[in-house]
Amino acid sequence: MSASLNPAAQQCLQDLMTVWFEFERRLNKVPIIKRLEHGQFTQKDYLALLFNLRQQVIEGARWISRGASSFDRDYAEVRSMVIGHAREEHKDYLHLEQDYERAGGQINDIQQGKRNTGSDALHGFMMYRASLPNPIDLLGAMWIIEGLGHKMANNWAQRITELTGLSDAVNFMRYHGENDDAHMEKLYQMLDSVCRDEHDSARIAATAKVVARLYCLQLECIDE
Amino acid sequence: MSVYITSTGHYLPGPAVDNSQIEAHLGLIHGKPSRLTKRILASNGILKRHYAIDAQHQTQIENEQMAAHAAQNCLDAVALEARDIPLLSCATSQGDRVLPGFSSLVQARLGIEDAEISTSHGICSAGMMAMKYAWMSLRCGEHERALVVGSELVSRLFKASRYEALTQSSPDFNSEFLRWMLSDGAGAWLLESRPRGLSYRVDWIKSFSHADAFPTCMSVGEPSDSQDSRTWQDFHCYADAEKAGALLLRQDVRLLDNIVKVGVDGFLRLIRQGLITPDKVDHLLCHYSSHFFKQKIIDMLTRAGAMIPESRWYTNLYERGNTGCASIFIMLDEFRRTQAHKPGDTLLCMVPESGRFNVAFMHLTVVE
Repeated sequence: MSASLNPAAQQCLQDLMTVWFEFERRLNKVPIIKRLEHGQFTQKDYLALLFNLRQQVIEGARWISRGASSFDRDYAEVRSMVIGHAREEHKDYLHLEQDYERAGGQINDIQQGKRNTGSDALHGFMMYRASLPNPIDLLGAMWIIEGLGHKMANNWAQRITELTGLSDAVNFMRYHGENDDAHMEKLYQMLDSVCRDEHDSARIAATAKVVARLYCLQLECIDE
Repeated sequence: MSVYITSTGHYLPGPAVDNSQIEAHLGLIHGKPSRLTKRILASNGILKRHYAIDAQHQTQIENEQMAAHAAQNCLDAVALEARDIPLLSCATSQGDRVLPGFSSLVQARLGIEDAEISTSHGICSAGMMAMKYAWMSLRCGEHERALVVGSELVSRLFKASRYEALTQSSPDFNSEFLRWMLSDGAGAWLLESRPRGLSYRVDWIKSFSHADAFPTCMSVGEPSDSQDSRTWQDFHCYADAEKAGALLLRQDVRLLDNIVKVGVDGFLRLIRQGLITPDKVDHLLCHYSSHFFKQKIIDMLTRAGAMIPESRWYTNLYERGNTGCASIFIMLDEFRRTQAHKPGDTLLCMVPESGRFNVAFMHLTVVE
């Protein structure tokens, strides 16, 4: 484990952990994830999941790069890290589209898909927060998104393979596990450098909470 | 009204069984050694445990007898008689009989007259449920004294013959996992409305269950085939249920990591509510069921600045075994007898349960 966090960042991390635990429990109640957890998940579910995720993932690089451009000179170091992050992930959706095809879907369908209501709300919120000056609270969003990457790689990918037999169509989810520890380490570093007081901590945790709720909404909309 | 734990007791059956003897004691399944034993033992860190069955799989002492012995051990320490107990609150995951309730049978064994009784059923956290019932009864003035007992006799489920009864040729990982984890024993606490010598004031007891959000993780009653939705009593006869694996104790290992999250979540809630200040906890007695979880808990809490220094953690898991709901009783009893502590010290007891994800906490202050 690396150096410890400053006290405000520690408090923030406690709050972020709580938001995450609540998010995971809420996720387990979303119909499509409930089917996954209880072993009722089908290939059709997987196609629907990828289809809906793709419409949000393809916009992911937009809020990250918008966020980077909103950091002024006082946050130059954070800005560099966020740019790096955007570059690493801006073509993620291509893995996802490949998986969709390998799982039996038509590439045209997923490429022409529209955002569902939840994806719309999530995307809108992210772009709004990323446009504000020095949007340090994006760390809260990253906490949820990185956490999901970890969960997909370590839990969902294997479960989906077990239940559907689609072992070569879970690369998008698996990929997120590869650099996971390094990503989390960077996130802790950023948290230590930008979260300096109670106010910062509250902003970051509040954004994490909203992103968590909207992410669940996005997944709930799959069954609508 | 304040309530105090004024005495403690325990009972562990037979001699301690170490890791080299464990498989010979429980028996080879179809005459073959298990390939999982070493791996699971290395992960849980347990070195010794006790069984109420002997190596010929004869039950040497019943669960209700163990509970009564622990209770008697607790009463003897303060020279009280069974007739002095107006409330008996017991917990177990599985009594010797399916019915009646466990407390009725423990009461009969102890020969307590005219007692109020309560039985808590569940897995590891059931002991804390029994404790909370008794604590609240004293808090609201219903009684001035109560005896709380947690007792487990799980080894009967682990005899080789249980697994040989299966239709499938060998048990799956999930049904064998707990065979190398759990063992037998009982513990008891006496609660009173006044302290008696060195006692523990019970400051609060809180628990958080998340059964609504997680699938079942530890169970008896579900067949090996996860697509089969029948439970043990839905089969034509009990023999069919046994063949299908529905009478085995199983753990869905895939879900097990959630227990760490549920435990840390509860801990952080109590910090936020102002009930716990990590620096001010002098002794942490955590039923962390397996050594495997300990490092994960430490990593998370250290990073978030909520760690109770490891030097303040106490457990006897490695030497006495994981005895389910009896563990925390046996742990506090041994702590009390062997560890230095002084009036004013605070103790935090924590009992996570993977059954369907519950976690219980209790805060004590040492008084004299």
